Amino acid sequence: MSDAKELLNRYQPKLTKTVNLDRQMGSLRYSRCGKFLAAGGFDGTVRRFDAASDELSPLPPLTGHGGWVTALAFHADGRRLFSVDTWGHLRVWSFADAEAQPLWTLERAHAGWIRGLAISPDGAAVATCGTDQHIRLWSADDGSKRQELAAGEDTYCLAFHPDGSLVSGDLRGIIKQWDAAAGKVVREFDARAMYLYDRIQDVGGVRTLAFDRTGTTLVAGGSVPKSGGFVQGSPLIYWFDWVSGTVRHTLKFGADADGYVYDLHEHADGFWMAVTSGQPGNGKLLFHSPGMEQPFFVATNMANCHALAPHPDGDRLAIAATNGGNNGNGRRLNDNREYPGNFTPIHLWSLAPG
Amino acid sequence: MREPLKNDLLCTPREHQLSRRRWLSGTAGMGLAAMLRPAIAAELEKKQKQVLFIWLDGGMSQFESWDPKPGTQFGGPFRAIPTSVPGIHLSELLPRTATQMHHLAIVRSLHTQYEDHSSGVGHIQRGDPKNRGVVYPLLGSAIGRLMGAGNCGLPAYVSVKPGNGGFLSGDAGFLGPQFGAVALGDGKPPENLPRPATLSEFDDRQRNELRERINRRYAARRRPEVSQANEHVFEMAAQLKRRLDLFDPSALPPGDVERYGTHDLGRHTLVARRMLEAGVRFVKVTSYGWDTHGDNFNGHLSLVPKFDQAFSAVVDDLAQRGMLEHVLVIAMSEFGRTPRINGHIGRDHWPQAWSLVMAGCGIKPGIAVGNTNDQGTFVESDEYDIGHMFHTWFEALGVDATTTEYDNQGQPLPIAHEGCHAVKELLA
Repeated sequence: MSDAKELLNRYQPKLTKTVNLDRQMGSLRYSRCGKFLAAGGFDGTVRRFDAASDELSPLPPLTGHGGWVTALAFHADGRRLFSVDTWGHLRVWSFADAEAQPLWTLERAHAGWIRGLAISPDGAAVATCGTDQHIRLWSADDGSKRQELAAGEDTYCLAFHPDGSLVSGDLRGIIKQWDAAAGKVVREFDARAMYLYDRIQDVGGVRTLAFDRTGTTLVAGGSVPKSGGFVQGSPLIYWFDWVSGTVRHTLKFGADADGYVYDLHEHADGFWMAVTSGQPGNGKLLFHSPGMEQPFFVATNMANCHALAPHPDGDRLAIAATNGGNNGNGRRLNDNREYPGNFTPIHLWSLAPG
Repeated sequence: MREPLKNDLLCTPREHQLSRRRWLSGTAGMGLAAMLRPAIAAELEKKQKQVLFIWLDGGMSQFESWDPKPGTQFGGPFRAIPTSVPGIHLSELLPRTATQMHHLAIVRSLHTQYEDHSSGVGHIQRGDPKNRGVVYPLLGSAIGRLMGAGNCGLPAYVSVKPGNGGFLSGDAGFLGPQFGAVALGDGKPPENLPRPATLSEFDDRQRNELRERINRRYAARRRPEVSQANEHVFEMAAQLKRRLDLFDPSALPPGDVERYGTHDLGRHTLVARRMLEAGVRFVKVTSYGWDTHGDNFNGHLSLVPKFDQAFSAVVDDLAQRGMLEHVLVIAMSEFGRTPRINGHIGRDHWPQAWSLVMAGCGIKPGIAVGNTNDQGTFVESDEYDIGHMFHTWFEALGVDATTTEYDNQGQPLPIAHEGCHAVKELLA
């Protein structure tokens, strides 16, 4: 593993462009070909952009979802985009079509808020999870239900191991490995530090899961919550040894105002990239190599980062953040005497090899 | 970009623990009781009307409860669901309450004046009267003063809350501390209230006699209101000591605890029902932690279902027992929450357009009064301030707020903001 200085010299991360959208977005992914960027909105749309250049020219949005579009996943076939929302819908799109329509839709994939979405390594199945405390596996081809797993808890996120094993992360900080065919939990990983019961509020949860490309490490992101209400807590990432189930490395960083790790990905060079969001105005992009004590790169010039999309070329990143000055009590009107909503700036970063 | 947290936004209520020592330490220095005109007080005393006041401290979001706007810019992730009243929809986080909608009246057009907790909590619970240089009583103390304790042999104003219990004299404002609340910390009787096992009945009696002699000597040199307040506190202690059965969980019907919920709000609401059944005039239930500046939607996903469970259970129980005829139920916060969703996926404070709910005792059931615009940002119909609600509640309880006054040592004071009026639509 390279040291921090060497990694920084090699990548020299730079914020190259910011594209402001008109609404807030909570999810962001590049297509496998790298030519499209998709963002899931709080307005029930999937925004598409031509990502061939940093101009991010908007394409017609994908409409028909309800509530918030909470997760997106591009299929490895390069044709399909899967999306889920808080009203229980799962949709599949031929995303490159100019006026894309859903290839198929499940109107009641879950009873309510779908939080997580993952596509199996062989591309045959798509897994979803949500507040109805169930995980469901669907045929990626036609949406027929293959399996239903009783998670017994509000489940936030899912990931497939390269060998096809499914893991889930829940509100109470329990990560479960499933034998999907048998509908049983094989084993659990302990991330309970990511959960707090404060007064009568459940706070926290495992917010994101990912495997490294070799399948030897399972990585979980969340927070060490200190309170409900404001929801203060320090970002927390665990690196679990997949074979033994033990924690190989822990990164707890920042202040209580820094909140949650919302999204994380491994870079081809073996380090991890993550984004955080906490008290309004607080947001970080960090690069961390598990052998090091602290991240070797931290950017603090973006407010409230909720999603991170690495470009397939390895040289670019897109981050869905929030506009500055996004909070405040009471009536705040803009110059036109209108009540303004917040919006998402998409920040584009380059990782130009030195 | 970074905005530091302000300490005055953090909710850290500090109340004093009630102990036998505090009960028995006397109440020297208690203030002067404001007097209602005697004939009115006697008339109101006869009425058996009661109040259950559920206070969701910090600010429940109107979008995630009483005034959902699904599919709009500020509507959030949740859907709306139909209720037992055709045409009235609630957030999907309130499925049980939705089945009780035919008992409820929602006000969706509140527009109040305070956007921070430090001023909002007090002003809202005092009815935000005109400033006359005095501290008005909270609603519970006002009702206790205006309507008396009744003949149940229990304090007029009981507060069930998390944390410590105590005697909340500050609630009474200018009425004087004898109209404060007896607070049941975590729904339990004040610690050490029963006579300690190590103290014999004889010794206890002797000690009380000594205390009474000292009190008489103390009272002889002071205004009568002071000694009356002192006696009142001791009487409340004695009343609670006689009714410790109300705190005995084994006396509850099977299933009640599960039905209300094993969380604080469920347990405390169940205690409140028992207090109402025993005849307490005004019972307040406080739930803390509703100030969801961060992760509002996951916060409400956790909080609202607990409220839904407890609130629907108590409304249903009061209806089943015929008690809604004379128990006024109110559930509210100090304000609502912003339409705008901040970067921490939270909602901030919003007094401009918010909602509360009420039921029973002279309130028209099965209605939603007022409305906000399509985005939920501002009130489109007539705006109502908290003064309007106080007038409405007083009228529902049989107190004419347009003619009844407090007499604060000769200073006549209206019991509700004279610029406001009862909302006739809400009255049966």
